[in-house]
Amino acid sequence: MKYVLPVFIIAVLIAGYVKKVGVYDSFVEGSRQSVKLVLEIFPYICAVLIAVELFSLSGLNAYFSRFLAPVFNLLGVPTELCELVVIRPLSGNGSIAILENIYKTYGADSYIARCGSVIVGASETVFYIATVYFSTTKVRKLRYAIPISLFSCYLGAVFACLLCRFI
Amino acid sequence: MNTMFFIMTVASLILMTVVSPDSAFSIMINGASGAISLALKLCAIYAIWLSVLDIMQKIGLNRALDRLFSPVTKRLFKGEDEKTRQYITLNFSANLLGMGSAATPLGIKAMEGMQDGSDKATDNMILFMVINATSIQLLPATIIGLRSQYGSASASDIILPSLIATLVSTVCGVLLAKVFALPSKGKKKESASLPQPLKGATFK
Repeated sequence: MKYVLPVFIIAVLIAGYVKKVGVYDSFVEGSRQSVKLVLEIFPYICAVLIAVELFSLSGLNAYFSRFLAPVFNLLGVPTELCELVVIRPLSGNGSIAILENIYKTYGADSYIARCGSVIVGASETVFYIATVYFSTTKVRKLRYAIPISLFSCYLGAVFACLLCRFI
Repeated sequence: MNTMFFIMTVASLILMTVVSPDSAFSIMINGASGAISLALKLCAIYAIWLSVLDIMQKIGLNRALDRLFSPVTKRLFKGEDEKTRQYITLNFSANLLGMGSAATPLGIKAMEGMQDGSDKATDNMILFMVINATSIQLLPATIIGLRSQYGSASASDIILPSLIATLVSTVCGVLLAKVFALPSKGKKKESASLPQPLKGATFK
């Protein structure tokens, strides 16, 4: 698996050179596009990260998770994982930090840790994708995109907890 | 998004003012500087992937990939042109391999190709976002690495449940997106007799 990436890039470079593509020009062009793209998406990332940082460090995240815990419990998600489930769609780094904490507290092979791993491994940072993917378009109304994504991710999380009991 | 942002920030700030008012501002700065370091990192990753992508495009690899996957992408994303489909295919490939940061610039390009010029997301755009947001990663490599780092005896035993969970969420997302897309499809058929503005005219 670890050879895939370098071999792929080598193959593309060689194929490009053989087909007389200006490989250096392509890298200059790619880097230029990258700067432009990052400048365009930066304001969105910045605004979202300010809100997420506030939400997780103010402790509101913990209150919110405790408030939602009975609902998740009913669906088979353990209380210990509620904070993770709440932060997962908001922040990738945040959920990794919580997951590390879970590993430390309960051990990496416990049921809680396995559930948490599957929840993080089988979902994405929904709000980050929602802001960044639409950032260069004129679209400001996402209609039903976020509710569907969140619902599906939570269904995946509930399913993950169920699966970890048997597998 | 505006309402969501408002509720999150105001509720957090009120709580902060009660609990520890002096750290409220520094947390906001933390968030913003986190964004700056993330942006710098993304800029580096995108520079490499967009360069490789540029070469791939010039040697016709994207077209070959599109031909391979067009039976699927054509059916899922009706009415999108070849170039947009190529970006969609590349985005999915990168996501399947777990290269989320390589997938992002491709996803943005695909979104640009799918927009119709209005401020509302089209059904295809939403479907595309939902598939990305529900994760289609085959191997959660980061998590497995993290687990073994914390002394797991069998770090890779989460592969199967992750795969099943991600499959469930993605299938559920696609089905829901298709169901929600039904009403606007009906509307489109009704207005089909009226002359429609050229879709290609709004492409960048």
